[in-house]
Amino acid sequence: MKREGYTGNLVTTEPPQEPLVRVENLTKLFPLNKSLFSEARSFVHAVDGISFTIQEGQNLALVGESGSGKTTTGKLLVRLLNPTSGKIEMILNGTQTDIASLRRGEMKKFRQNVQMIFQDPYESLNPRRTIFDTVAEPLTVQGIGNIAERELQVAKILTTVGLAPAETFMFRFPHELSGGQRQRVAIARALVVAPTFVVADEPTSMLDVSIRTGIMYLMQKLSDVLGVTYLYITHDLAVARYMSTRLAVMYRGKIVEIGETEEVLAHPLHPYTRALLSAVPVPDPTIKRSRANIKGSIAKPIDPEPRCRFIDRCPLAAEVCRSNDHPELVELAPGHQVACYRAGEMA
Amino acid sequence: MAEIAKPSPQPPAPDFIIPEPGSHVPVIETPLWKIRLRLFLRSARTNFQLFAENPIGLFGLGIILFFALMALIHPYLMDNVWDRNIYDPVIGIDQSIPYHPAPPSADHWLGTDPLGRDVLSQLMFGTRAAFVLGILAAIVTVTIATTVGALSAYYGGIVDTIFMRLADLIIMTPTVTILIVMAALFNVGFVHLAIIIGLLGGFGGATIIIKSQALTIKVRAYIEAARVAGGGDVHIILRHIIPNLLPLSFLYMMFTVTTAIALEAVLSFFGLLNIRMSWGLMIYTTQRAGYLLDMSKWWLVFPAGLAITMLCAAFYLVGRAMDEVVNPRLRKR
Amino acid sequence: MAELSTNQNDILLKVENLTMHYTTRAGEVSAVDNVSFELRRGESMGLVGESGCGKTSVATTLLRLLPENAVIKSGHIYLDGLDLVDLNEEKMRQVRWKKISMVFQAAMNALNPVYKVGDQIIEALENHNEVKTNQEARRRVEDLFRLVGLDPAMIDRYPHEYSGGMRQRAVIAMALACHPDVIVADEPTTALDVIVQDNLLREMIELQKQLNMSMIYISHDIAVIAEVSDRIGVMYAGRLVEWGASDQVFKRPLHPYTYGLMSAFPSIVGPKRELTTLPGEPPDLLNPPTGCRFHPRCPYATESCAREAPPLRDMGNGHFVACEHPMEVSLEL
Repeated sequence: MKREGYTGNLVTTEPPQEPLVRVENLTKLFPLNKSLFSEARSFVHAVDGISFTIQEGQNLALVGESGSGKTTTGKLLVRLLNPTSGKIEMILNGTQTDIASLRRGEMKKFRQNVQMIFQDPYESLNPRRTIFDTVAEPLTVQGIGNIAERELQVAKILTTVGLAPAETFMFRFPHELSGGQRQRVAIARALVVAPTFVVADEPTSMLDVSIRTGIMYLMQKLSDVLGVTYLYITHDLAVARYMSTRLAVMYRGKIVEIGETEEVLAHPLHPYTRALLSAVPVPDPTIKRSRANIKGSIAKPIDPEPRCRFIDRCPLAAEVCRSNDHPELVELAPGHQVACYRAGEMA
Repeated sequence: MAEIAKPSPQPPAPDFIIPEPGSHVPVIETPLWKIRLRLFLRSARTNFQLFAENPIGLFGLGIILFFALMALIHPYLMDNVWDRNIYDPVIGIDQSIPYHPAPPSADHWLGTDPLGRDVLSQLMFGTRAAFVLGILAAIVTVTIATTVGALSAYYGGIVDTIFMRLADLIIMTPTVTILIVMAALFNVGFVHLAIIIGLLGGFGGATIIIKSQALTIKVRAYIEAARVAGGGDVHIILRHIIPNLLPLSFLYMMFTVTTAIALEAVLSFFGLLNIRMSWGLMIYTTQRAGYLLDMSKWWLVFPAGLAITMLCAAFYLVGRAMDEVVNPRLRKR
Repeated sequence: MAELSTNQNDILLKVENLTMHYTTRAGEVSAVDNVSFELRRGESMGLVGESGCGKTSVATTLLRLLPENAVIKSGHIYLDGLDLVDLNEEKMRQVRWKKISMVFQAAMNALNPVYKVGDQIIEALENHNEVKTNQEARRRVEDLFRLVGLDPAMIDRYPHEYSGGMRQRAVIAMALACHPDVIVADEPTTALDVIVQDNLLREMIELQKQLNMSMIYISHDIAVIAEVSDRIGVMYAGRLVEWGASDQVFKRPLHPYTYGLMSAFPSIVGPKRELTTLPGEPPDLLNPPTGCRFHPRCPYATESCAREAPPLRDMGNGHFVACEHPMEVSLEL
């Protein structure tokens, strides 16, 4: 797969054996009731021992409702949050590194290779800084290039994301741009250091429908041309379908199903995935959906009991689900893993 | 059924083209600093327009300008128009008039004080003192409050606790009393006073307000974005948090000036300050001579008192008008 | 102007040439321009469009809940024969909530956090003289809660003790309190998770049928509109550009904007098709484009499109479109 960095050289690399990102038993606990004088007694298990891999060039979509832990996972992967336990291994400049244990001084290489696109185009740009300042920030902070080189780089990336002519945009302020344009700036900022891996946290959910597809198309194109791999976080299954080759469904801090996107959408094996799929409204008035056979809403995963997390809402809940710990991911079809004791009965 | 005339439609093409890598991209000609200057001026103009919509702001600004003019004219008058021996605000004396304090006349528009000095000259000289004191104190306050507020908000924990308890302590103790004690113990001049007021203000109430603002900034998404970009603590505090705090800081500067001028007047009135001339000192002189409540000698108290009130009020009004610029929610449609 | 309806008898709400403007510091915003539609008894209508298209403005205009700087320039809103535009505030207050009520966007904002939820609904009942005693009010609220699927024990709880879906149900209960004939629901499920949304949508449809209520459902989400509405109106830049039965508008969209919107919507059913994008941005309503407001973005625009605003024309089967060159295409989703 050809990857072209901003040096302009064409670099041909073999598809690596090692995945670009490998996550093993990643856990993040948030303490409740913590004060200056006492230790916390209960924890929110936002992310509870998840494992997955992402191959270079294969975008993974992380899908879940609010409280599922998908945003927390994204933040862990860019080290905005520090994991409580577990390993995150990424290939940075050819070497595999454990991100989770990097200390402050070693983060530079990391930040050049891994970036993030945020959800809210109105909040993720500092209203007092020009577009140039915002997009050049990763370069400035990491000491890449001199002023002239940075100007050129910023101009190039702005043109690439569709904000052309670059000079007219570079010295405007965020409030002078529309939502779609602001999100393009956010994408430009993430890509200006030519990263290999980008976490996109619901980048289109706050945009209008007609603008959304433009941004999605842009991100896909950039993924191909610039060789960027995405972790695409979203609650919208339809959007996930278009932006990813593989799909992982999260529920209350756990991954309950993971596999190729088309496969998972066509043959969902976990009862939660089925419920989620059947709950999505379809833009066709002639199609009548069947009822999503599930009720209630997600409670926060505070000190969860050692049994399947989905048991309160699952239409298939049985004794085996109650008496054993949360099921592990098991491969039920090639490349398709499910965490459910009874999923095998459906396949 | 109406007519429909249409060929089969193509889906609209995507609205941009990715340039071929390495293709010519124009470089910006004007140097960066010029562009930034232009932007700064543009935003300053917009802000002033917003400010100017509020009549009280303009009124306050007008008063400040009036006093500033007075302060600026005084040296010119002293050098070129007035006889130094007569009109010097500290040591001048008009010996042609037998009784001092003398009422206003053609030579002395506001009369003379009990020591024979021209009141108008004193007033104008005192303006300079008031401005210097006020602005110096304000700068000290704002610098300290912004830094401390930003650090407390950003680091939290023990740093925050220390500064907040210090602020509580300062708020609890009456400022005037502290100042009186200090002035009585030490030789307090203008600059000393300005710095003390600045310190008390900076570590006091203003810090708490600025810190809460900094807290709201700290959780914004663009701070996270800066961190992901690789920004360390220093970069985030200097380039993101403090610039967003500055409007609020400037606001507080206005109120600090008000406080500083008023405090100086109080302390001078008690004769505690080691200064040559100020408005407060004018009233002190009047009181020492026993004319404080004598309404027939109104020119001894009235001009100085009015000047203090008006300048303080002017800065306060400007502060209020700035509030609407800084805080968009207060603006009327 | 074309006649919109077929059967005159069961038309409950008839909006005719409604035009509403906001006055801002920058000028007049043409938020709702010449909008006309009809709603029959028991029918549910969807109003779809992107942000800034005017759909929420239509809702607030219908209920006459406009801010001070907004004014209804022209048009009529006939609710059961009564023109709401002409009513003074006194009379409108009697109509509001009793004959037509609203479920607001972001229900969290509609509930006052310092009062118990039950009390807020009781207040609405008492204000409209629907009940005589407090006991009667309580019983009514209990019935309402059961109707929307809430446990009546939650009456004495505060909004923060409710989950998102529950709060939305409470707001729906409040809107239903006085048994209105028409409910306007403005993006009621946008902030909710998809499974909660699914449940709520089904219940709203159930409720609507049970109470034989008319509903205007406003959303930017075409999929939700498709499931909920019998008829659909598509709004763009303050104007109604297409109007007709759901399946008609979805399967054979006539207006290029509708077509663009439909094909830009990703779907999880069916084969994965290429997504199309709509070039450009929705226009600024301070200076909307002349003639047809969509013409700058329309791939089929001609000169006449920029000159004259096309009126809503009936293309047969009650399917109306405001376009000089409507499309002829069947949409396979």
